[in-house]
Amino acid sequence: MLSLTLKDISVSYPGLGAPVLAIPHLEVGAGEILAVTGASGSGKSTFVNVISGLEPLREGRVDWSGTDLAGLAEHRRDRWRGTHVGLVMQDFHLFPGLSALDNVLLPARLASEASAAVKRRARDLLASTGLERPSQAVETMSRGEMQRVALARALVRAPGVVIADEPTASLDEASGQIVADLLVGLTGAVGATLIVVSHDPGLIARLPRRITLQSGNITQDSRAVTP
Amino acid sequence: MIGFILADMRRHKAGTLAILLLVAVAVALAVSVILQERALRLGSARAANAFDLVIGAAGSETQLVLSSIFLQAAPLPLMDGAVFQRLATDPRVAFAAPIGFGDSFAGYPLVGTSSALVAHLSPQLQEGAGFRREGDAVIGAAVDLAMAAVIKPMHGTAEGGGHTHTGIAYSVVGRMKPTGTPWDRAILVPIQAVWDLHGMGHAEADHAEAEGEQAKHSSAGPAIDDLEHSADPAAALDEDWAEHAAGLPAVLVKPRTIADAYKLRQEYRSGTTLAVFPGEVLTRLYATLGDAKVLLLAVAIGTQALIAAALLLVTIMHVAQRRRQIGALRAFGAPRTVVFRIIWCQLFAIVLAGIFLGFGLGYLASEIIGNIVSRQNGFTMPVMFDSEDIVFAASVVAFAAVLAVVPAVLAYRQSPAAALKG
Repeated sequence: MLSLTLKDISVSYPGLGAPVLAIPHLEVGAGEILAVTGASGSGKSTFVNVISGLEPLREGRVDWSGTDLAGLAEHRRDRWRGTHVGLVMQDFHLFPGLSALDNVLLPARLASEASAAVKRRARDLLASTGLERPSQAVETMSRGEMQRVALARALVRAPGVVIADEPTASLDEASGQIVADLLVGLTGAVGATLIVVSHDPGLIARLPRRITLQSGNITQDSRAVTP
Repeated sequence: MIGFILADMRRHKAGTLAILLLVAVAVALAVSVILQERALRLGSARAANAFDLVIGAAGSETQLVLSSIFLQAAPLPLMDGAVFQRLATDPRVAFAAPIGFGDSFAGYPLVGTSSALVAHLSPQLQEGAGFRREGDAVIGAAVDLAMAAVIKPMHGTAEGGGHTHTGIAYSVVGRMKPTGTPWDRAILVPIQAVWDLHGMGHAEADHAEAEGEQAKHSSAGPAIDDLEHSADPAAALDEDWAEHAAGLPAVLVKPRTIADAYKLRQEYRSGTTLAVFPGEVLTRLYATLGDAKVLLLAVAIGTQALIAAALLLVTIMHVAQRRRQIGALRAFGAPRTVVFRIIWCQLFAIVLAGIFLGFGLGYLASEIIGNIVSRQNGFTMPVMFDSEDIVFAASVVAFAAVLAVVPAVLAYRQSPAAALKG
């Protein structure tokens, strides 16, 4: 599990008067579970891109247990992300034409990390999410099943942190509930830090710490107000 | 990575197939130009190989070769029979065969010649025997006539408004073995019969002399005879050339030595006669063909360039469409170099398959064209790849490898965050 320290983060785009994300300081402990909320345009996606290393950072530090992503070259950030971050996204980003198992294993395979242990783990994870046919083509699955495959993919390399960006937003309530349970349960089982960006009140309510973003600034942090 | 590429190709079957076929057609076009030119060169060289020296009346060297070696119907001036008589007794000559053409039957050229030429072209016959009488005919291997078939020669061709000779009907007595030359489509008959039929035989010789100049051209051109003459098909073959030899368009000569060949060529290149080495004339023709090949290849390569540009556009659009997919791959930790390899390998694999298919299609097209030409003209067109084709194949493959770099670089440079947003 990894801890996160953000320091003096400022992300600006040309033509915009104010930074889209400005975080003077934020600490997330190793193994902590954090919900990030905020209205549309509040900087949530930028927050995800910055902490996952998807976006290069010009100002500030993104320190994951001693590794500052701001100081890493792009290919090193890719490698670090592949090893340490499990990403779950609203649109699943599964690859049609491949089976559920192949989708789970794809990132590991592309990084030449698909060992026998990883393959075993992929099957176990799919079984844990309730998917009984690992060879089923993903395009024949329901949206809830697809998100479960995406969850298994995020966890297959036992990442130190799982970052979920609106994981239940495109699912119906029942499927969203199942995915939320699995997300919290399986992430807890691997002992990873969990950061969830969401609008889903049901999901947010079950996460112990919540921060709220507004115009790129953290306006509320439940840990700060609840000692 | 291969599984991912194959899955993507399966998903975009139609597009993949379209790119593959475009490449295949472009490559096939260039390959067939190269193979055809080579086949024509080899085939014509092989056809000319049987004849060392051709002597005819002064005129066009190319036409002399085209008419005597490739049996292309064209008016050739006639040469005095005395030239042939001299050649027949020349010690430097292994054999000299007269050829007289202009008649045809069922689309096959009828060539008046001697039994020596039959023996030279086909030392052993496929069936039957050689000439014994003036009415005997020996046919080439590709002539679709049965033994003992009756041949009523037509003066000129049916298409050219010719008329059927009534003065003789030949009978097929033998069939030569295949020679791979236009002579496979020829009907060979004794030259005496041709002379008799055209009023140039023994009986008419004196009469012709009395009338002054007789025909000045072979019967493919202006009429050799206005009056219909006849020949006796039962008359015994008389190949005593010293006795009688009338005017004829060409003589095929087999010199005894190379030195003799050059001497004879020199000797008969002045005045009223023309002597040529068919190979020499063909070399000049090849030079012209070579220019045509360069032009055709330029057109084919221009087509390839246009298709390459179209492919580039299609693949760049494909990469743009896959923006989110590529962004996701990066987001999940696929190294940029892997993304580069995926895009490069996918396009290169499709184009490579297209190149292979193109070589196959080009070969197939050349074989089909070669067969048609063979059927129509008699001489075999050997369609074959050569070591120099490896250079062409390597160039096309190298070009494809470079072409595939463009979309791969675009994918490599794509920001994953921006791609996921789009």
